[in-house]
Amino acid sequence: MQPNVVLSIRGLSKRYRGRRGVQANDGIDLDVLAGQVVGLLGHNGAGKTTLVNQVVGLVRPDAGSIWLDGIDAVADPDAARRLASIQAQANVPITGLTPRTAIQLVGRIRGGSRREVAARTQELIETLDIASWADVPSQKISGGIARLTAFCMTAVVPGRLFVLHEPTNDVDPVRRRLLWDAIRTLADDGSGVLLVTHNVREAERVVDHLVILDQGQVIAADTPAGLAASTRGVLTVELDLGLRAGTDVGWPPSVTETTRERLRAAGTVPAASAADVVRWAQSRVDAGVVERYALTAAAREDGYGRLVGSDRAAVATGTELGVVA
Amino acid sequence: MSAVRQGLLLLQWQLRRGSTSMPLLVVVQIAMAVATVIGYGLLVGDPTPDVALYLATGAPTITLITVGLVMTPQMLGQAKIEGSHDWMRTLPVPRWTFLASDLLMWTLIALPGMVLGIVAGVMRFDVQLSIAPWLVGAALLVSLTSASVGYAMASVLPPMLAMLLTQVLVFVVLLFAPVSYPASRMPEWLQTAHEFLPIEPMAQVVRAGLANDAFTVPGRSVVVLGVWCVASVGAALVALRRRA
Repeated sequence: MQPNVVLSIRGLSKRYRGRRGVQANDGIDLDVLAGQVVGLLGHNGAGKTTLVNQVVGLVRPDAGSIWLDGIDAVADPDAARRLASIQAQANVPITGLTPRTAIQLVGRIRGGSRREVAARTQELIETLDIASWADVPSQKISGGIARLTAFCMTAVVPGRLFVLHEPTNDVDPVRRRLLWDAIRTLADDGSGVLLVTHNVREAERVVDHLVILDQGQVIAADTPAGLAASTRGVLTVELDLGLRAGTDVGWPPSVTETTRERLRAAGTVPAASAADVVRWAQSRVDAGVVERYALTAAAREDGYGRLVGSDRAAVATGTELGVVA
Repeated sequence: MSAVRQGLLLLQWQLRRGSTSMPLLVVVQIAMAVATVIGYGLLVGDPTPDVALYLATGAPTITLITVGLVMTPQMLGQAKIEGSHDWMRTLPVPRWTFLASDLLMWTLIALPGMVLGIVAGVMRFDVQLSIAPWLVGAALLVSLTSASVGYAMASVLPPMLAMLLTQVLVFVVLLFAPVSYPASRMPEWLQTAHEFLPIEPMAQVVRAGLANDAFTVPGRSVVVLGVWCVASVGAALVALRRRA
């Protein structure tokens, strides 16, 4: 194993038994290097939480190995927990505590000294610009501040691996940017960060590597640029529909519909067919079915959506397989 | 870092997190302790001195048992449902430290109600107590055992089932356990069952600790209680360590 590998997962499989047994993880390989932020993407139920829970010994794998900084996390979960800090998926209620006391208490439970923890807490509070909430009883803080507090509770003591579950949920746009910078800093300081998220567009700014899970399997793993290559030559077409909502858009064959709302529709189109699609869209405007249309470079969500889209059969046989690691 | 320090920090976390609900919890169980005494008084009317002593020394046990068997599983069940229990289990704290701090909390929370229950019993039934020096130890053992049984129950069972079971248990402890009346009044099969359950031994050690002149503890009861204590702490620990 390379010396700078913080987390190394090989062939990880887990099946939950029961009447409707679920193969939550199915032969997953994943590495997080020191200094790296790895984004773990996937639909609800793709197996992200199961993966994380196996790293910290809440769930026992059926097969495969998990090495955390040279320690066998499957054989010695207690040791693994000393190396990994987890941000909970849901907000942990901290009723009765202020954000500052909560962060400090968890920091000391994680083994930090009183003084180190106090200093680091202050630093995180300033970094995330939550000083005005830091000493307010948590019953009075918003969901976004609670989420940021949960991040601080995770990052308060230096660790080898940080696992962050949707850290930006409910956080306002300004502090979101501060939070992404703070996450990047964790990695730049030498830790590994595993970022579990749906928010691919924002995460893209800080991640070094993206792993996409679907039905318990890694269906793509690459750098953001590498995954973007799969959307190169693809454009997004967006339509604002007229007030006769619900009418059939009647896409030309070259367009793959990605979203359909009451008054909006969008799809992807190969660049080569762009001119035809513009002509088609203009004719729909003339016919009064479409109010407005736009053709733009494909967003990452489209590529991601195509990878784990509802039409899984298409994924399995489509050109997207070109990016499967 | 020493595990003891970690345990105390965890205890602090749990107590402070519950600082809005804990006072209410303690008030409610004090009220329950007093209400048990008054309620049994209404049930039996004007009791003879023997019966009165039995009631007055049974009520504190009822309080100890209900906190452990009812409040502990309910709080743990809630922590499991809201996800904070699983998050706490990701902290770098040895499992036994985690368990010890939780059990310490529940053991201590039960004590104020017990004391008030004793005072209420003495006042209502006008009885004379003769307190044994080991009463505090006995009360702690009873409190710890019932908290561990409750903890183990909530750890092993799905939260909803554990919470429902607590309701049944209150009923059993209040009416179908030899705590406030002698076992001899119960059908034989129930007497036999109680020879192996922890409730009767709990009542016996508290009773003998409170009225040392009038009651003694059979050695067998101490053994049964000890076995339950060790087994339930062990079961809770296994449940905490268990990986899904």
